[in-house]
Amino acid sequence: MKTSNGFILYIQEILTGAKSLAVGLWITLKRLFSPIVTVQYPRKKLTMTPNFRGHIEAIRFDDTKTHHCVACGLCARICPSHVIKVQGEKTKAGDKKIGRHYVIDFSKCSHCGLCVDVCPEQTLKFSREYELVYYSRWDTVIDLMQRLEERP
Amino acid sequence: MNITQLPYIKDIFAFMGSDLMAAVIGLLIIAVFVPLNVAFLVLVERKVAGHIQLRPGPMEVGPHGILQTLIDAVKLLGKEMVTPGMTDKVLFFLAPILVVVPAFVGWVPISFSPIMQIREMNVGVLLIFSFSSISILSILMAGWSSNNKYSLIGAVRAVAQNVAYEIPLLLSTMSVIIMTNTFRMSEIVNAQSSVWHILYQPVAAIIFIIATTAECNRAPFDLVEAESELVSGFHTEYTGMRFSLFFLAEYTNMVIAASMATVLFLGGWFGPFFPGLIWFVIKVYFLIFVVMWVRWTYPRLRFDQLMNFAWKVLIPIALVNLLITAIVLKVI
Amino acid sequence: MLNIKTIDDATVNQRVYQLNLGPQHPSTHGVMHLLVTLDGEVVIKIEPIIGYSHRGHEKMAENRIYEQFLPNPARMDYLSGMIFNHGYCMAVEKLCGIEVPRRAEYIRVITSELNRIASHFIGAMDYAMGLGAITPFLWGWDDREQILDLLEGIAGSRLTYSYGRFGGVRNDIDQAFYNGTRRFIDRLRGRFWDYENLINQNIIFIKRSKGVGVISKEDALTYGVTGPSLRGSGVKYDVRKNEPYSAYPEFNFEIPTREAGDCLARYQVRMAEIEQSLNIIEQALDHLPPGPVRSKVPRFVTPPEGECYLTFESARGAVGFYIVSDGSRIPYRIKVRAPSFSNLFAMTKICPGHFLADVIAIFGSIDVTVPEIDR
Repeated sequence: MKTSNGFILYIQEILTGAKSLAVGLWITLKRLFSPIVTVQYPRKKLTMTPNFRGHIEAIRFDDTKTHHCVACGLCARICPSHVIKVQGEKTKAGDKKIGRHYVIDFSKCSHCGLCVDVCPEQTLKFSREYELVYYSRWDTVIDLMQRLEERP
Repeated sequence: MNITQLPYIKDIFAFMGSDLMAAVIGLLIIAVFVPLNVAFLVLVERKVAGHIQLRPGPMEVGPHGILQTLIDAVKLLGKEMVTPGMTDKVLFFLAPILVVVPAFVGWVPISFSPIMQIREMNVGVLLIFSFSSISILSILMAGWSSNNKYSLIGAVRAVAQNVAYEIPLLLSTMSVIIMTNTFRMSEIVNAQSSVWHILYQPVAAIIFIIATTAECNRAPFDLVEAESELVSGFHTEYTGMRFSLFFLAEYTNMVIAASMATVLFLGGWFGPFFPGLIWFVIKVYFLIFVVMWVRWTYPRLRFDQLMNFAWKVLIPIALVNLLITAIVLKVI
Repeated sequence: MLNIKTIDDATVNQRVYQLNLGPQHPSTHGVMHLLVTLDGEVVIKIEPIIGYSHRGHEKMAENRIYEQFLPNPARMDYLSGMIFNHGYCMAVEKLCGIEVPRRAEYIRVITSELNRIASHFIGAMDYAMGLGAITPFLWGWDDREQILDLLEGIAGSRLTYSYGRFGGVRNDIDQAFYNGTRRFIDRLRGRFWDYENLINQNIIFIKRSKGVGVISKEDALTYGVTGPSLRGSGVKYDVRKNEPYSAYPEFNFEIPTREAGDCLARYQVRMAEIEQSLNIIEQALDHLPPGPVRSKVPRFVTPPEGECYLTFESARGAVGFYIVSDGSRIPYRIKVRAPSFSNLFAMTKICPGHFLADVIAIFGSIDVTVPEIDR
């Protein structure tokens, strides 16, 4: 009695196993003819979301036609990787400082966005560049103010 | 006395006259066809894998990446063949050479169409089986000589696995052989002119395909190279062209196995509308597609389960199947 | 050919050899070294050697202000970066007594649960890949990709989000995220059948996982195993329920447990948790309260002197952040209790007696992240 029971179980296992394998084949066959989900990157490109966090960039404001950086240095203080260096100067005595040089080395940047949050003048934003490949490490050291002037 | 009257001399001349030429031409065709076929199959494999996994596979070299494998072959040719220190240099050198021999010889007795067969042999089926056993020897040589624990584990697994799976393979073949009473490939095909053997012997056909998948070390029986456990198995230490010879042998063995299955179960060249060769090729590539499809669907068996599957499931079923076939044939 | 010189003299005469799985190996999830002592293919002893990706995050914390440590927690466990990020924020908020707006709590829950699904997908599918099934792994990545797209839409980054801030989150969620999450939930629910039948019902998968690597309830508690691995052993412990934090008490969800304690149980717990996470996200989206997402917090927080310990549930188990403050802007000490560390060392107990292939399966089913072990 016991052995025949075992035999039935043995046959059952083979049959359920074969069925599960056939179902698996059917599932992969369906996927074989479904559309692909990848993007052939250099040929096709995805659009970045508006919130994408690239390296930081200075915003050009419409009222002054330039950035609002006052070279307070808060961003340089909060940066976890110490990659920001800001230099400002006063145009005339008693006036606010204006940022002249804003150098970041974004190869060391961790894109955390703390500098953008901390900025009292809110003159920083994230760029949407993601193809950050260069021939030299020095190419990753950029002056945001200079970029702002060069940009139309 | 005219020496041509001596029977053995006459046999030699006859051999040189037609059969030798046929053999030479056939082997040349094989030597050209096998690497090209492998290049094509590797591409097909990558495309099948890609589309099952919702990605396009190779797309860059040539339209839809059809030249990708040729470029890969060129790259492999240009690579340095590294021989690691402390290896058994002779065996390490011989293993990839030995592995391609059965892959080429196995083509000889296969009848692709009524006129395309390199050499008809009385023991064509047996010849393929016996030569395919040699490839195990080369895998063992490769694994042993590499002086790498992963390679050795892979090689030891390969030997045990192949010994186990040759039994159901031969048993399932036997149930066809006792139906046709011949080992000649063309006669086995001719016996299926009206009904394919797969209709008489569905169980044997499934066992045959499972066992050949295991013999070719394809997933889900690819414990020999099990990349998640053994890195790359027996060819971990091989580079460049030596590595690609193992690759070539693997895919060629697949084609030979599929051809065997076609001859034994799927009616060889028989089929409506098209000439025989085209039907043969369609059947072979369909079987190869099934093997690839299976590879990209299932997980890998564990070693003891693999053995259990062979000894506890395949061999009993194959034996029962053979017994039933014999009884039915005797009664009829 | 076996290199038996590495074994001590007492065992030289035995047929025992050692195999180095890693530091570079296809299935060690990073730079991880398992020194396996084998007899044939049967494991006698297994010794995880860790520290290859030690970056000293805890020491780094002692040299920077609280804000500057914000990007770091996500780099400890890169697969559940969002959860770690929020966890660190919660720990600092607890230390400083900062109130978090309810909307921010809800957003934290939604993003954490999305991140948990993404991480569980990798955990479960990577286990399947360890068994040799590559296709489900890539399908899992496809589903995970949807989550990454959603999170990128609000956080701007795909892996190390730095989305949480002290007293809330960086920015509010938008309608696109709201709709996208709804669509994702429907899409994922439609795909469970495929996963269930392709992996869970597959006879080879069941044979490979059932009864393999059983962590008993006692062992799990002894080794301090947490997360899905603990719940797979039948212990109903989830920090989200047992020590509720954030907005979790407001949601209605189950803690899936399995009694078996084997690899299959751990896999099933993970897949069941994905469904529970979907429920949580749905409830949170339904009852998303209006209001600000960030409370008024000083630009640089200065916690009072003292210490705090906050534990939360990451995708791998209970994580603890222990922060000691000396009253300055720079933490005196931050200690992180990493679940992967405890979970990994349960392997030393359960692996002996299994085959070499099972080691990979067990390692995959426990689902550790190596950078989290080493920190």
